[in-house]
Amino acid sequence: MSTSSQNANSWANKHPGKSLSERLIGTGLFILATISVLTTAAVIVVLFSETFQFFRQVPLTEFLFAPEWTPLFADPRYGIGALLAGTFLFTGIGLVVAIPLGLMTAAYLSEYAPFEQSVRVKGIMELLEGVPTVVFGYFALLFVTPILQSLIPGLNLFNPISAGLVLGFAILPYISNVASDAMMAVPRSLREAAYALGATKFEVVTRVVFPAAISGIVAAILLATSRAVGETMIAAIAAGQRPLLTLDPRETIATMTSYIVQAATGDQPAGSLASRALFSVGATLFMFTLTFNILAQRVVERYRERYE
Amino acid sequence: MQRGLSLESSKSPENLRRERINRVFARAVIVPTALALALIAVLILDTLYDTISVQVVEVTETSGKSFPLGQAWNAEQVIRLELLAQGLPEEEVNRLMADPEEMRIFGLRNRVELMWATQEGPLRWVVSSIDDERVSNYSLLEGLRRWNELKAGLQENQQLRLNPWLDYSFLNRDPSRNPISAGLRVALFGTLWLLTMTLLLSVPIGVGTAIYLEEYAPKNALTRFIEINLRNLAGVPSIVFGLLGLAVFVRGMNLGPTLAAAALTMALLIMPTITIAAREALRAVPDSVRLAAYALGATKWQTISRVVIPATIPGIATGVILAAARAIGEAAPLLLVGAAAYVAFVPQGPMSEYTVLPVQIYLWISANLSEFANTAAAGIIVLLLTLAGLYALAFWVRRRFRVEW
Repeated sequence: MSTSSQNANSWANKHPGKSLSERLIGTGLFILATISVLTTAAVIVVLFSETFQFFRQVPLTEFLFAPEWTPLFADPRYGIGALLAGTFLFTGIGLVVAIPLGLMTAAYLSEYAPFEQSVRVKGIMELLEGVPTVVFGYFALLFVTPILQSLIPGLNLFNPISAGLVLGFAILPYISNVASDAMMAVPRSLREAAYALGATKFEVVTRVVFPAAISGIVAAILLATSRAVGETMIAAIAAGQRPLLTLDPRETIATMTSYIVQAATGDQPAGSLASRALFSVGATLFMFTLTFNILAQRVVERYRERYE
Repeated sequence: MQRGLSLESSKSPENLRRERINRVFARAVIVPTALALALIAVLILDTLYDTISVQVVEVTETSGKSFPLGQAWNAEQVIRLELLAQGLPEEEVNRLMADPEEMRIFGLRNRVELMWATQEGPLRWVVSSIDDERVSNYSLLEGLRRWNELKAGLQENQQLRLNPWLDYSFLNRDPSRNPISAGLRVALFGTLWLLTMTLLLSVPIGVGTAIYLEEYAPKNALTRFIEINLRNLAGVPSIVFGLLGLAVFVRGMNLGPTLAAAALTMALLIMPTITIAAREALRAVPDSVRLAAYALGATKWQTISRVVIPATIPGIATGVILAAARAIGEAAPLLLVGAAAYVAFVPQGPMSEYTVLPVQIYLWISANLSEFANTAAAGIIVLLLTLAGLYALAFWVRRRFRVEW
């Protein structure tokens, strides 16, 4: 709903024309618009109906507290903790790389770069965003991992360090885009006031612009976290597909996403408990990303109220 | 650009320290961008490097000879030389080459490739059979370093090759469990089919949704709900769409692991992207244009279809191309809706089994054989070139057809 076309449209809506076809077109377009709502509904119904079936066979305490995730073993265990630990390692390392790099890029874009230079930097970020994640996975496994293995003793071939490092670059653009927008929205008067008090540019950026844009920065980090948690191919290729309840980043682990890939490329008949376990992991993943996205939107809305 | 306090006047240690930090930070902020650029450059160079290898191959059905580029210029001439080298008499070779059926069978069993070098010299044609066996495979530098040693160690029926994996024959080969004869043809056709079907489904839905939201939607709770929903849908991980496709299309609608199920899944996945791009394009059309059309007596739909939409075509086209680029690189959801299966044939229609470029690359990376790293690298270069082409196209469309109001 745009403000620009509001007048014209409100005029036209009051004079909808006499022909039936005119009105049918509006209805038809409305039906197309509901497809996105139906999609969300379908995602929720599919994930949670299968998960509900899963919990009729597996107690919630097993899901939350069992130390292993081994649905395909003869003696299956269903402890989501092993997958959460893997996801935490992978995402955590990615964020440790992406947050400082992303915020510095945002600071450069909003505070330092001359116009032509900022166009170039944005171009590089778009390039990074456009690289398919399967390519990043290949790079992590076949280029980064061998280098890290020569530096870190006891590093497995599949490990969350290498995957997380590359993930950090994959999500860097999301942080720098959103955070630089937020920093650019900080009123000029705040900066001028700080300069007038004798602050250096570094102090203006870190003590005035960053705090003033903090809600946008937090939103950027939340969005990037959501992306990282849902990132699949880098994890599946380079971090591993072996669920393990550990916080040792040298071990081969499995994230929720890489487990889904592993399970799906195997053969599991519909309705089997292993297949339902797959959907319960999907539901957990969905809950996590949805929470991060909603939080990010909340934070952004608050920041809009302040500056628009 | 030094702003703010003039620090020359007060050179206290504290101020000098602040000034130093300020200077260092001003330099440091460019570092992440430089790192990102370096990462992209290293990624591309490393992948290109991985597309070349030095291998020793044991030939099974062919002569094991290679033919210099000057002696033959196309596959047909190479096949003639090869058949003669196998010891067939001239008339027999002529008869075989004139018989399309014989040539088809020969084409099924053998590949003609141009190697950068063999043990017999630089730039030579080889004919390899699909049953040829790898003896060893080395990265480019190690292979070149050990070239003479490998050459001396060759046994009968073995051939030393400097193999550029990414060549025309690679694009034209069917998949195979033997990396020597594995190619991209099926994945390329799968990608083309899937992209076409996905866009046919998602463009009308995505653009229709955008038109509804921008031009028709009343400002009420339902509209707001649709908008919030779209934003959240764009943030759902792609693998979750894979689970949706698996449950609804593959199993629920019983489509099985087919192109149809994959296209429906991908259409839902990229639809929000298209809607968001189309809404931006619609919003850029100023109100005066709509009012002018109404003043001329146009109905609402006439205004939209003949005035507003034509003006948004460049914007929507750019958005669609970028969404297509995303769809081409997407592997995760397709792994769940059937692309991971071994498919030996080019798809014949929407109900065919299929595989696509990024999934083929993933399968090669997962295969534990060093030659498959070479084919994966070659596949990645093809994928990146395709994407570069699409981005260039989007850039050109945006420039060339931009409407200024």
